[in-house]
Amino acid sequence: MATVTNWIDHLSAAEVQGPVYPGVGTEGILVLILVVLWIGWHFISNMQEKSKSEAIARRRPGSNDWKSNVTDG
Amino acid sequence: MTDQLTALTTIFTEFYYWITVVLMFLIHVGFCMYEVGASRYKHHQHTLMKNTMLIPLVTVTWFLFGWWIYWAFPTGPGLAPSIMNESAALITDESAFSAAWYVPTSDLMGTNLNDRISGVFWAAFLLFSWTAASIVSGAVIERITTFAFGILAIAIGSVFWTIDAAWGWHFDGWMLKILGYHDAYASGVIHAVAGGFALGVLAVLGPRIGKFSPSGEPRNIGPRNPWLVTIGLFLIYTGFWGFYAACNIPIFDLGPEYGMEGVTFWTATNIYVTPTTLGAITMNFLMSLSGGLMAGYLISKGDPFWTYSSGLAGIICASAGNDLYHPIQSFIIAMVGVWVAYKLHYWVERKFKIDDAVGAVAVHGYAGVAGLIICGFVLNGYPSSGYSVGAMWVGTDYAPINPLGMFIGAIIMFGVLGFLPGWILAKILQGMGKLRIPKEVELAGLDYTIMEDAKSDEKAVASSSR
Repeated sequence: MATVTNWIDHLSAAEVQGPVYPGVGTEGILVLILVVLWIGWHFISNMQEKSKSEAIARRRPGSNDWKSNVTDG
Repeated sequence: MTDQLTALTTIFTEFYYWITVVLMFLIHVGFCMYEVGASRYKHHQHTLMKNTMLIPLVTVTWFLFGWWIYWAFPTGPGLAPSIMNESAALITDESAFSAAWYVPTSDLMGTNLNDRISGVFWAAFLLFSWTAASIVSGAVIERITTFAFGILAIAIGSVFWTIDAAWGWHFDGWMLKILGYHDAYASGVIHAVAGGFALGVLAVLGPRIGKFSPSGEPRNIGPRNPWLVTIGLFLIYTGFWGFYAACNIPIFDLGPEYGMEGVTFWTATNIYVTPTTLGAITMNFLMSLSGGLMAGYLISKGDPFWTYSSGLAGIICASAGNDLYHPIQSFIIAMVGVWVAYKLHYWVERKFKIDDAVGAVAVHGYAGVAGLIICGFVLNGYPSSGYSVGAMWVGTDYAPINPLGMFIGAIIMFGVLGFLPGWILAKILQGMGKLRIPKEVELAGLDYTIMEDAKSDEKAVASSSR
């Protein structure tokens, strides 16, 4: 994975190579992983939100019931 | 970088934008505090999470496609040729400022010893994107789903505002050439577009339960924590300094840039690469803040919520021309903007039953639009760019700033790229049953379960002896 193994060799080259992150050339795979994580987050968080909302809706608490759940600090 | 002067200039510019990013982070802190202060107790935590999660969602999508859009779309495409390659197509060739360098797979989108500016510049624009999304966030509190808001935040933060930035906030943008558009500190580019988008969403989302009486009279659901609102707005003012600085290029020689042989003129410039000074924008920022606060205090009869918001609205209204205005002009323009925003807010609320929980459409949208229109008159005749001056509508050169061009620009920002996409996307989400939380949850409070669990834990802890 290492793109640079010796800074002296790297910086004294006739043309210094700009990108120095690990795995130069694998950017396409990294982007694909990011897209999957991003879209996946929406799916999972949507399911979690739906499940929480449905649980509250089934119980139908009154609009002032939350006051009995205020903690005393 | 092989000589010390180039290194100093480059690293100074890199550090300058980096500092603006840190300052602008305070805008988001301010928005979070402001929204929580404005929301009711039973919705606090959900309100905070909704605004917080736009940070990663807009950041990821800004990396994937938002930044690319900014560099690809200045020509429209198809509306005015680029001054770099004389083509009206998307700018994806080998030009110096091409979108080709900013696809997410580009090696410039990572640690690169040959490019020190792109990353901080990317971040500065990203912070603008968060702001655009956060403006919408405040308007829709207490009844939108986090899922729907996430989609809408990505749309405004990584798509629509960046298209308008490419069109009207880029040295090569078609709106400068065809219309003579000028919007130095983003009255329209950030604020009008986000305000318009919020209004489009609100028109579909509907008001909070109880906001309007059965006869249609609006009821006030005021801030539940005025201190959080106060500190939040002061933090937004503070972050706004970073925003203003980020809209400038700190040091640039305009002589060779404009092709003037033998001329050297080092200066700070605005985002269009025309000269201004940090002194000018500092005076104008403070005078427009002051004008906004004074007008807001008078028109609201000392209401703290509106007075603080009006300080912001004043800056937003004067921002389009704050690179060139006289400070007293900024002051007066800010007062006019606040008057327009305040009056329109209540008129729209009554007439169309729009429940804008924090006045975001007014402060950002209406004040932004007013600022663009006023700028067209006050800066009428100034060049919109230093590269050339030509006639309106032609597109090969840059049209001068003028009232009609700025009026059309305001419609594009608020209506075409703001209201319309917001309304359409909200309609789609509503059609999917994903836009609004169930009525039972809105009444009980979005935090009902969290609070119930906390109370249960508290009882268990209180009854414990070891």
